[in-house]
Amino acid sequence: MTESTIATADHVREQLDLFETDEDAIRRVLAVALERGADFADLYFQHRSGRSIGLEDGLVSRASSSVDRGVGVRVVVGDQTGYAYSERLELEPMLAAARTAATIAAGGKAVAPQALQHRAIPQLYPLTRQIASVTVDETLPLVRHVEQLVRACDPTVEKVSVSWGDSDDRVLLASSDGDLFGDRRPMTRLTVAVTCLKDGERQFNSGSLAGRRGLEWYTEARLTEFAKDLVARTLILFEARRPPAGELPVVLAAGASGILLHEAVGHGMEADFNRKGMSIYAGQIGETVAPDQVTIVDSALHPGERGALGVDDEGQATERTVLVENGVMRSYLHDRISAKHYGVEPTGSGRRESFRHVPMPRMRCTYMENGPHTREEIIASIDRGVICENFLNGQVQIGAGDFTFFVKNGWLVEGGKITAPIKDVNIIGNGPEAIRRISMVAGDMKLDTGGWTCGKEGQSVPVSQGMPTVLVSSLTVGGSNAQ
Amino acid sequence: MRSELEERAARAVQLAKDCGADDCLAAVAWGRSVELGWHANAVEKVQESDSLELSVRLFAGGRYSAHSTNDLDEGRLKRFLTDAVALTRALEPDPFREIAARELFAGLRSVELDQVDASLTSLDRDRRMAIAGELATAAEADDAVIGSNCMVFDSAGAAALVGSNGFRASRESTSLWYGAEVSMRDGERRPEAHRYVGDTHAADLPSPSETGAEALRRVKARIGARKVSSRRGRMILTPEAGTSFLGRLLGAISASAVQQKRTFLADAQGQRIASPLLTMTDDPFRKRSSASRTYDGDGVALAERRIVSEGVLETFYIDSYYGKKLGWKPNGGCTTNLVFGHGDQDLAGLLGGIDQGICVESWLGGNADMTSGGFSFGFAGHLVEHGELTEPVTEMNITGNYKDLLQQLVAVGNDPLPWSTFRTPTLVFDGVDFAGT
Repeated sequence: MTESTIATADHVREQLDLFETDEDAIRRVLAVALERGADFADLYFQHRSGRSIGLEDGLVSRASSSVDRGVGVRVVVGDQTGYAYSERLELEPMLAAARTAATIAAGGKAVAPQALQHRAIPQLYPLTRQIASVTVDETLPLVRHVEQLVRACDPTVEKVSVSWGDSDDRVLLASSDGDLFGDRRPMTRLTVAVTCLKDGERQFNSGSLAGRRGLEWYTEARLTEFAKDLVARTLILFEARRPPAGELPVVLAAGASGILLHEAVGHGMEADFNRKGMSIYAGQIGETVAPDQVTIVDSALHPGERGALGVDDEGQATERTVLVENGVMRSYLHDRISAKHYGVEPTGSGRRESFRHVPMPRMRCTYMENGPHTREEIIASIDRGVICENFLNGQVQIGAGDFTFFVKNGWLVEGGKITAPIKDVNIIGNGPEAIRRISMVAGDMKLDTGGWTCGKEGQSVPVSQGMPTVLVSSLTVGGSNAQ
Repeated sequence: MRSELEERAARAVQLAKDCGADDCLAAVAWGRSVELGWHANAVEKVQESDSLELSVRLFAGGRYSAHSTNDLDEGRLKRFLTDAVALTRALEPDPFREIAARELFAGLRSVELDQVDASLTSLDRDRRMAIAGELATAAEADDAVIGSNCMVFDSAGAAALVGSNGFRASRESTSLWYGAEVSMRDGERRPEAHRYVGDTHAADLPSPSETGAEALRRVKARIGARKVSSRRGRMILTPEAGTSFLGRLLGAISASAVQQKRTFLADAQGQRIASPLLTMTDDPFRKRSSASRTYDGDGVALAERRIVSEGVLETFYIDSYYGKKLGWKPNGGCTTNLVFGHGDQDLAGLLGGIDQGICVESWLGGNADMTSGGFSFGFAGHLVEHGELTEPVTEMNITGNYKDLLQQLVAVGNDPLPWSTFRTPTLVFDGVDFAGT
């Protein structure tokens, strides 16, 4: 996918109507935001409506809906940010929020906002119709059908819960530089949890399918494969054991293993941490940090992924940012403040959870490009190690570089062959060491379609990740010390 | 404020009924907060919040759903609730879903929880900056410090809950949180450590300089941290580390987990699930604690609940829906303050009696499967040798099963953090699997 093939659209008019505001009001609020002097100010209007329905114990008997709306006013002076929001969109409360945000400025000379120019933005959310038009008469049968697909997989399935959630997120951003654009961001998600009972023992597992996609993406073939995979991942837990504890070669299976990149590399490349010298990657641009076969990308341009964004949350064009190219560190992820600090172009990475939050540099869809090897070659090269297939969560300490990810399902490899299933182990390593130790990269990259969410400083944003099969020569695997 | 919120909630109940609901439980919550971020001897961010949200739970034709909105414009609210009722009626009926019976809140206690610090209303920008400056000065008092991020957050909030079953109550609270995160040079690594403290009352907190100094002490203790060899041995959990380790257990002690077959403790009521040293009580009425409350989200009146008594599981957290599914009497689904039986020594005293072990001070990632009880967590801490904390360790994991580990609790301290709500003291466990080199 290249940028030139993506259609663009102008949503400004429709969003102004939705927020019952107009360009004149926006200009007045921006003027007040700049009345004590500032580098720039922006207004972020948002209306997010969400719905869910859920099945438990055979009944689709729960549902929810939500509306959250408001406008956030940001005033930026150098590295300093003043922020306030209003949940009411009449002029007076918006002006009050602007005055509050403007108190960050020291009382310099008022600056005039530039004339507003409508901007069309790339459309990266492939929908055949808007999410708002999907009704419970369509999602209820879907949820029920998924339960049946799961139950049909195995007679040991004891409990199944299924939920469908969708959200329709409409935003309008106006900046004192004159940018004015609207975006409409859909998100859907199907989550299934299953408990199996065998010989008096129970095992639990869960999974989800998610993306900025419509109902039509949840095809019979996709749902069937998802259900089969989930039940198989649950049944294997009856045989799975803990691996031996200690340092082992670790194979990361294609797909969700991108969690390694997210934790070990991505967060440390967010420029706010580097600007403050607090990241282990501070000052590493241009340095060789990994073997030649390692190229790591963070891109907003994969249509339909959770991390897809036509424009970031401060109005910067999104892009495909190369973090590491053939082993050499190329770029941090920037928001406007850090880009100005470093004197570079923003990378379209300024994101925020909602109108209540300030933007900061965040990942979008993080993955590694393909390498020269195959999965079979990689497994055959290991005398004793583990393969990680499915993950629940991960975390990193930006400065020390220590990161972890939790493996729900995996395999033990002995003598170049898969010998036994493993489960429920935490794996821990050090980011810079781990990427130096990536010794083989296969050519089977895939993006994971599970619903990943990234948390940073109390803000959650949807992200995606992907990976080809990769060998890390050594990480510390949680496990048993039993002989 | 409280009576205004109660009135709003009562009007929402009526509106929901007008829109076709048989019963409705409405909650209205108001909150305002100011967060000040401080970096490099200057304000980095000031963020002010003020929000008002309505959430309703609807019961219609034997069906149930839950909704929330912050758009309280009357016309739009009416459309929102009309749609919500239509969504509810499109679902399948659930015989276990009904609004709480009056007897469940008849005993609602009128307890003064003392959760409001009036002095916080006068907190202004200068005072916030002064706190941040004191934090930073103490946190950065070492040449190897790269920098710190300091934070001061204060809030006030109130919430009302009104039901068509006659329930009507409200509560309000304030909070003040502050702390520092410090980074330090250590060769290629830049370890960080933090200390945040917070409570309903400013007077109950350690001073900003003590707090900043503690963050600095912690980061200095991380210098030179490395992993040591894998081993099986004694684990000492500091009060902070114990909170998240035992906090996981609460998910396994709920009626929903039992009914959904997602807990290894499903059949364990009345059984010994832990060493006799473990006694754990949920106390909803602790004064000046942010977690205290007299009723849960369904309006069920809360009372003190003895969860684990000398190792024996006494009761689960039982909300009204899953209680009904199980045929158990609800006792409130929410957790409040967890109070533990005490030993007679603090961390330092307990360490004194330990020849070899690892003291876990902070966690990094990991997870637990409460259906089986299996867990695996990353951590950082120190080696314990001959009664003293010695080398800092990092990049290691512990792995095991709560079923076994709870029985291996061999000592309990007397030192929960004063402002904590999940009030674990120092805990010592034997036979823990550590993974390192």
